[in-house]
Amino acid sequence: MKTQHRRRSRERGLFRTIRPLTAIAALSIAGLALAGCTGQGSGGGGGDETDASGKVTLDFWNGFTGPDGPALEKVIDDFNASQDEVEVTANIMPWDTLYQKVLTSVAGSDGPDIIAMSASRMPQFASQGLFEGLDDYYTDDAHDSAALAETAVEASVYDGVNYGVPVNFTPMMMYYNKDLFSAAGLDPEAPPATWDELAAMVPKLTVDDNGDGKPEQYALAIADHETVPVMASLLWGTGGGITNADGTESTLADPASIEALDFWVSLIRDQKATQIGMSGADADKLFQTQKAAIEIVGPWMTTGFDEAGLNYGLAKPPAGPSDEAVLADVVSMGLPAGTSDAKKKAAYEFFAYWNSAEGQTTWADGSGFPPNRADVADKVTASPYPAIFGAEDVTSVSKTLLPGIAAGGPIMETIFNPSVQKALNGEGSVQDIFTAASEQVQAELDK
Amino acid sequence: MTTTSTAEPRVRAPRADTSPPRRRRMSVTARRSLTAWLFLTPTLLILIAFTVYPMVQAAYLSFTDYNLIRAAQWVGLDNYIELLSDDAFWNAFGNTVLYAAVVTPVTVVLALAFALMLNQAFVGRAFARTAIFLPFIVSLGIIAIAWAFLLDPNIGLLSHWLSLVGIVPEQGWLSDPRYAMAAVMVVGVWKNVGFYMVIYLAGLQSIPVDMYEAARLDGAGVWQRFRNVTLPLLSNQTLLVSVLALIATLQAFDQIYVMTRGGPFFRTETLVMLVYREGFQELRFGYASAISFVLVLFVFVLSMVQFGYLRRKQVTY
Repeated sequence: MKTQHRRRSRERGLFRTIRPLTAIAALSIAGLALAGCTGQGSGGGGGDETDASGKVTLDFWNGFTGPDGPALEKVIDDFNASQDEVEVTANIMPWDTLYQKVLTSVAGSDGPDIIAMSASRMPQFASQGLFEGLDDYYTDDAHDSAALAETAVEASVYDGVNYGVPVNFTPMMMYYNKDLFSAAGLDPEAPPATWDELAAMVPKLTVDDNGDGKPEQYALAIADHETVPVMASLLWGTGGGITNADGTESTLADPASIEALDFWVSLIRDQKATQIGMSGADADKLFQTQKAAIEIVGPWMTTGFDEAGLNYGLAKPPAGPSDEAVLADVVSMGLPAGTSDAKKKAAYEFFAYWNSAEGQTTWADGSGFPPNRADVADKVTASPYPAIFGAEDVTSVSKTLLPGIAAGGPIMETIFNPSVQKALNGEGSVQDIFTAASEQVQAELDK
Repeated sequence: MTTTSTAEPRVRAPRADTSPPRRRRMSVTARRSLTAWLFLTPTLLILIAFTVYPMVQAAYLSFTDYNLIRAAQWVGLDNYIELLSDDAFWNAFGNTVLYAAVVTPVTVVLALAFALMLNQAFVGRAFARTAIFLPFIVSLGIIAIAWAFLLDPNIGLLSHWLSLVGIVPEQGWLSDPRYAMAAVMVVGVWKNVGFYMVIYLAGLQSIPVDMYEAARLDGAGVWQRFRNVTLPLLSNQTLLVSVLALIATLQAFDQIYVMTRGGPFFRTETLVMLVYREGFQELRFGYASAISFVLVLFVFVLSMVQFGYLRRKQVTY
């Protein structure tokens, strides 16, 4: 009884001193929660149309993190200086970060005003209602769109509506290490022009010095995930592919596709032509450190290869038995759905400048990418690469992968790439793996 | 109130009784519970805002086709029905169970073993304790990148050492389907074992020394002392550690995401990674919510079973 009294009295004392503190704490937390709510409500970048000086400001998200970044900023600076109504700011981040952030940012109306992304990813986002249709951009003659390469323009069409304006249009080319060719007793000026020539060179370019079954030098650097879809484009070489032309039917299990897959899987798995399980960055590293003799990749790697001191040559990728199979990658700029008329008009001005003869000359000169329009090719003098990548015989045969197919991203990442990995690891025959994959692709197309 | 009161037992000093009786508007119990609620309020507010509300929201979303941009459409049980026949779900489910079934017991046993070793006095004990605990406080993203480098087939130090003793995977450790899961498991154990070791160390230090002396007098050997004194008296820690470890492993995401992205061909994709992929890559937040809910249920049921089982084996003294 007595003990209880004592405890009670002590507690009362504690209670008395603590009460104000608790009240303060509770109030401040409630205050924080309220502040949090209001902050969310009034937030959102879409609000400000113009800056203090009355210019329309455009936040341009893109992934040109390489040496192409400064070239992009140069064109933007030129545009900002060329007029006094629109101010574009580039927000450069890695592509995968951009893809991860863009949806949540736009949904929270805190996103970019202009979004650049690979045109192959655009249909997926467009089908979800992320992008504004831009057909009226192309119907306005003032924008001079007729001069643009057709493949570059058509890459961003989904369901009959064009959702993008091209930033760049790039065929993938074959880089080959001349020193490694010489060391293998091959003519450094005669890169393989066909699949058969390549297959004949693979044993000479593969070096396993210590005989542990793991080559120290590979003939090729081909990635099977997180990369430009070079592997998928190889199916074109035999007249195969992942889908038919209008993207309604899977052709992955067609004899032509299986023939191409058989050829490449056996070259890689049985002859160890490349290291298995590489990401795009791994493959670049392998070629850059002279552990691979050939890589098919875009011009963004040239600076890196130059800095590594490689003695390399550039050629069109080896042709398949029935097609040249040159993959092109197009990056397009789109506008988020619900963009205001003022911002849309301002963005159109920027798009037109970007794709003008002047803008494209600066871009190609600085980045090494070929220009989006043929009529400025001879004005690009600062770098030899735009001329090589933009050569008529390359651009005329190059194609984009799965254009206009909303399920393109998921098909590549969750069906095609894992199936290739499966085949390369010998987990089933090419025929079985890709027959199953073909059914999955069809299911995606039918969704 | 000097000599007499000190001679008396302390409980006899009735300060509350000597002070004049006060009028109370509230009963003591009510006041005490009010205090408790006031103390709990900040935490409860945070919990409601950041845990309860999102959970309710996610439960609602799991019955819709929400995609972040468009308004959500009610689709009833469609997501749950689709899930049952989704190979990707069952693959991720299997991987998650495998990961948890291996990593949880290995972590708990290793944590106990380290704790027993590091409870002995020896030169360099502080260093060893720190070395084992350190991975736990480093960000998982950094750890995973470091391990990816160590295991890189071309430049990896660990790959190099293993190749010196003749262990050469045909390809990179993380891209070979036979080793990828094992590789991420090793990192998972290594990362967390230090934390559980500290819990065990605290438990070991609370065991009275005289219990061991008594056991020794009774003729108990090292193993018998461990089996009959240490292990039972650590049952509280074992309950805590195994429940925590199981919940953590069932939610494995970050280190696997950074190291393998779930590859090769989804061999290391866990349920949480599938949630991420369906949600943020395929823009199906409704479906992702349904998967999350199945995972929450699974974790809840398993934890309860585990709790009930270990609780019965608990020893108090």
